[in-house]
Amino acid sequence: MVRDYNNRHALDQKLRGTPKPANADHLEVSHWQAIATVLAHAGLDAAVERALSSTPDLSLRYCGPGEWLVVSHVDTPVGLMRRLDMLCGTQAHVVDQSDGRVLLRLSGPSARTILAKGIGVDLHPAAFAHGGSTNVLCGHIAVNLMASGADVFELIVARSFAESLFDDLMAMGRQFDISSAFSE
Amino acid sequence: MSAYRLSSGGLVDRSKVLSFTFDGRPLRGLAGDTLASALLANDQLLVGRSFKYHRPRGIVSAGPSEPNALVTLGSGARSDPNTKATVAELYSGLTAKSQNRWPSLGFDVGAVNGLLSPFLGAGFYYKTFMWPRQLWEKLYEPVIRRAAGLGRAVLERDPESYEKSWAFCDLLVVGGGPAGLMAALTAGRAGLRVILADEDFRLGGSLLSETETIDGSPASAFADRVAAELRSLDNVTLLSRTTVFGWYDDNVFGAVERVQKHVAEPSAKLPTERVWRIAAKRALLATGAEERPLVFGGNDRPGVMMGGAIGTYAERYGVSAGKSVAIFTSGSSGYRTARGLAARGMSVSTIVDSRPDAVDAAPDGVRVVRSGSIIDTKGSKRLSGIVVERSGYEELIACDALGMSGGWSPVIHLACQRGGRPVWSEDLKAFAAPDVGGGLRVIGAANGVYTLSGCLRDGAGKAAAIAEELGFHAAEAPLPVIDAEVEPSFAALWYVPGAKSKAFVDFQNDVHAKDLGLALREGFGHVEHAKRYTTSGMATDQGKLSNINAVGILAGMRGVSPAEVGTTTFRPFYTPVSFGALAGTSRDTHATPTRKSPLHEWAKKNGATFVDSGLWFRSAWFPRGGEKTWRESVDREVLNVRANVGICDVSTLGKIEVFGVDAAEFLNRLYCNPMLKLPVGKARYGLMLREDGFVFDDGTVSRLADDHFFVTTTTAMAGAVMSHMEYCAQALWPDLKVRFCSVSDQWAQMAIAGPKARDVLQQLLDEDISETAFPFLSARATALRGGINARLFRISFSGELAFELAVPAGYGEAVADQIMEAGRAHDICAYGVEALNVLRLEKGLLTHAEFDGRVTPDDAGLGRMFSAQKPDFIGKHLSARYGLTAADRMQLVGLKLVDKDKEKDMRAGAHLLKEGMKPSTLNDQGWVSSAGYSPVLGQHIALAFLKSGRERYGEKIVVWDRLRDHEVTAEVCDPVFVGSENTKLKA
Repeated sequence: MVRDYNNRHALDQKLRGTPKPANADHLEVSHWQAIATVLAHAGLDAAVERALSSTPDLSLRYCGPGEWLVVSHVDTPVGLMRRLDMLCGTQAHVVDQSDGRVLLRLSGPSARTILAKGIGVDLHPAAFAHGGSTNVLCGHIAVNLMASGADVFELIVARSFAESLFDDLMAMGRQFDISSAFSE
Repeated sequence: MSAYRLSSGGLVDRSKVLSFTFDGRPLRGLAGDTLASALLANDQLLVGRSFKYHRPRGIVSAGPSEPNALVTLGSGARSDPNTKATVAELYSGLTAKSQNRWPSLGFDVGAVNGLLSPFLGAGFYYKTFMWPRQLWEKLYEPVIRRAAGLGRAVLERDPESYEKSWAFCDLLVVGGGPAGLMAALTAGRAGLRVILADEDFRLGGSLLSETETIDGSPASAFADRVAAELRSLDNVTLLSRTTVFGWYDDNVFGAVERVQKHVAEPSAKLPTERVWRIAAKRALLATGAEERPLVFGGNDRPGVMMGGAIGTYAERYGVSAGKSVAIFTSGSSGYRTARGLAARGMSVSTIVDSRPDAVDAAPDGVRVVRSGSIIDTKGSKRLSGIVVERSGYEELIACDALGMSGGWSPVIHLACQRGGRPVWSEDLKAFAAPDVGGGLRVIGAANGVYTLSGCLRDGAGKAAAIAEELGFHAAEAPLPVIDAEVEPSFAALWYVPGAKSKAFVDFQNDVHAKDLGLALREGFGHVEHAKRYTTSGMATDQGKLSNINAVGILAGMRGVSPAEVGTTTFRPFYTPVSFGALAGTSRDTHATPTRKSPLHEWAKKNGATFVDSGLWFRSAWFPRGGEKTWRESVDREVLNVRANVGICDVSTLGKIEVFGVDAAEFLNRLYCNPMLKLPVGKARYGLMLREDGFVFDDGTVSRLADDHFFVTTTTAMAGAVMSHMEYCAQALWPDLKVRFCSVSDQWAQMAIAGPKARDVLQQLLDEDISETAFPFLSARATALRGGINARLFRISFSGELAFELAVPAGYGEAVADQIMEAGRAHDICAYGVEALNVLRLEKGLLTHAEFDGRVTPDDAGLGRMFSAQKPDFIGKHLSARYGLTAADRMQLVGLKLVDKDKEKDMRAGAHLLKEGMKPSTLNDQGWVSSAGYSPVLGQHIALAFLKSGRERYGEKIVVWDRLRDHEVTAEVCDPVFVGSENTKLKA
């Protein structure tokens, strides 16, 4: 028996269907991206961070001392693992999380106001600068949050919580007519 | 008719008429009115009945300190009891009902309590506890509960929605009066991130009822100008209709915003109320000051109000509280009120001044009675006159409204919520805020600054200082100019002697001056005792008006200074906050998150019935056509796994990758059984203990490489095990080179169990998984045909030949579909957690039903896993404690029902008794941890813990189920009910 297996997105049930036009405040979900956890060996935090942050197409999100989530929109999960192994395989442990994490991108003029309904950190650009990331709670759910643009935030959540987080974000954004869709 | 709308003036929109009802009576008000001002404009003075004596009560204040005018707004599920009419913004269609009256506000049966008042003095409630005892539950309690009361809570589901939000700022200004506005403006211009919160629906505070002018124009126009400039600044957030209710650690403030309390048809997009948690680098308290009522005979008659409130109703709302107003004052504020009223064309007849030699100027034609006091009031449901006394001469003066002005108390509630006690100031004759550090400072009237120009200066100055502290610069700006202002002075007057009728201290709780005397006489003179004994300062207003007089009276009675009496304790909340707002969105499906397995959709299309399991949704069983009960489905699934093959979703197990050169050593210390020499490519069952020697969790440990392990935990303990590991790595053994992370969500994991499991699974794999190539307890990374990465484990939780297959979560559904297809010829079935449970029960395998935190490895029959040879591991040392090694500890056994009657069963939680013993926990021999029906044996079986159980196989024992009041006899046996030789496992 040989066959192609379909990969079902965690938010497939929520987002399947014809895309609607995006409103000013919009929650966008990519069908796929590669995500990996990188855990630096003892004492090599700085070296690993240097190696990763100097590589194009890789986006680094801070999770804790010597621990990052690395996101790539150009690699396959297997490809990212291979690339990370080459980059820092002797300095860090690398774990594929592409299927275990879901990335949601919230953008729009009210993005900060919407997130402030669930996230207890200061999201003002002076306090949470473009490119900054951290682990936070959004309501009851643990997420990794990154300020990925002027009014753009990316949330990475464990797959089993994705539907609940999605529902929470839509409720938090109802005041601003938030829309949602898979990326084109 | 006596209260009425003035023909002009006020900050109400006379072109916008709003209709509303009070107790069903249709009334009209104006946009900009509160419910209280609209009621007054309609001459509806009587608004409620008092708590204990059911006395008629009217509006007293014009703000949040209101003790009397509590009404229920709305109807049905949308009812909002105990709403203060003095802050409720009027809207078209508002319906209000009075409270604590029966059958009607005008005629109230409970008023008979007034005649019983000699028996209802302070502490009567507590005295009913004492004697006669048998009357308490039958008579006192129900009667008191019915008679005393405020609004009634609604039992219907609350249809409103609520939310919470965080906010961060450099400076939080609490209160939008003159000091607060000036502070926000100064800080806002300097570039600070400022939040200004004010509980009113219009910014300005006292400026809105001010008679003095600022820079030559009305004070309210100045407020509007400042508010407009603040609105234009990006770095300033204005929160109106927002009450800051609490001050918490780290300078976080709690506030509630009434987003849609003032609209008849709320928008579905907005919450009704929003709770703010505001983290502020600095905060300024600009909450103003509260005018003090005077305690004299008959002071609770409707029509007796705060002097400042009468002024506010006239200036801000264009409403006259009466045709003929009298003022009773102990200071200059009473005169200022009188001048304001006269300027509005209202008739002020008399000022009764308690002081002998005041120099304040009364308006022309107003009689001033110096050294005077009021000892009684006349009228039934509203004031018709006052009895004024001077040197024994009593005089009845007709009036229909009386303004009380007993001086001022700064509103310092928030500043005292974190342990700081108010400080008595002899200068202010009031309690002032303590020094609570730089995070929170007090400005304006709350700081005892009572002139308008002083408030503006205080606000601007303190805001500029904060700006400098935070590295900003506030440019000097000239302060606005105020004309002819008066510094209010007053004499403290706690109690007016000679009262001819009850002189109330606390209106809301019907506490009068004599109650405080009784408390003192009966040994409850301490201010905290007096509060509880008399109820003075309790209930919804928490004594905002009354506390200061209660303290003053107690001080007077004891002959000491108020400083010595002190105050009761200030705690959040400043004013009541609805439970709905505090819960926010955390209700219904948003109360807790729901976790879904990557195989959820697969299970759904295979007809699964789901069960809540912690946050997870797990498939419980998969009913097929014709099956009428869950037992039928579960029995079929169990028998099919034993005879053929089944597939079960086990993705919810916790999964942790452990790396590092010391990973093996780390795990060896975490588990009680040896892990150091686990070969690569092998899995092992592992048992973790707590430090105290009891079982913490169990799972499997697989070694994928020398320095790479894959650990599973139970579903329930996944988070706890991860935290435990973090603690051990960071705090106990920081020297070990080990890193780990959770991959629970990365893998969809399924168990394929049954004699035909290999035949099914081999179809998806190129790799040989025969008994020789992949024996029991093998573990390795592999790939499915088609190139999907996978991990395969030869482990079993059913005693059958079994595999666990993990694939990246997104592929889980497709792979499970493929397994079902490959298994069709082998009669595969999907099975759920119920069948899983029966399968493990038949094999005596354990879960957290057994590992309940009181069980050692030996209790559970796993004593051989306890590796005494290992130098150390968590739980080793405390396992040697006497109690944990005692011979009569309860040990795991199996139970089989002696009587095979299918109606009789056993349930978890039942207790075990020796035959013939009286059913009592005194005779307890043990308890049932798990029970179920074994379709293989055709009888009910159970796992249980029994004293010295392993020596008692064959004994008959009584299973006593106290909940169902039901006893059955069972035989004690080996906990492995089915296939104890384990031949199928290794086939």
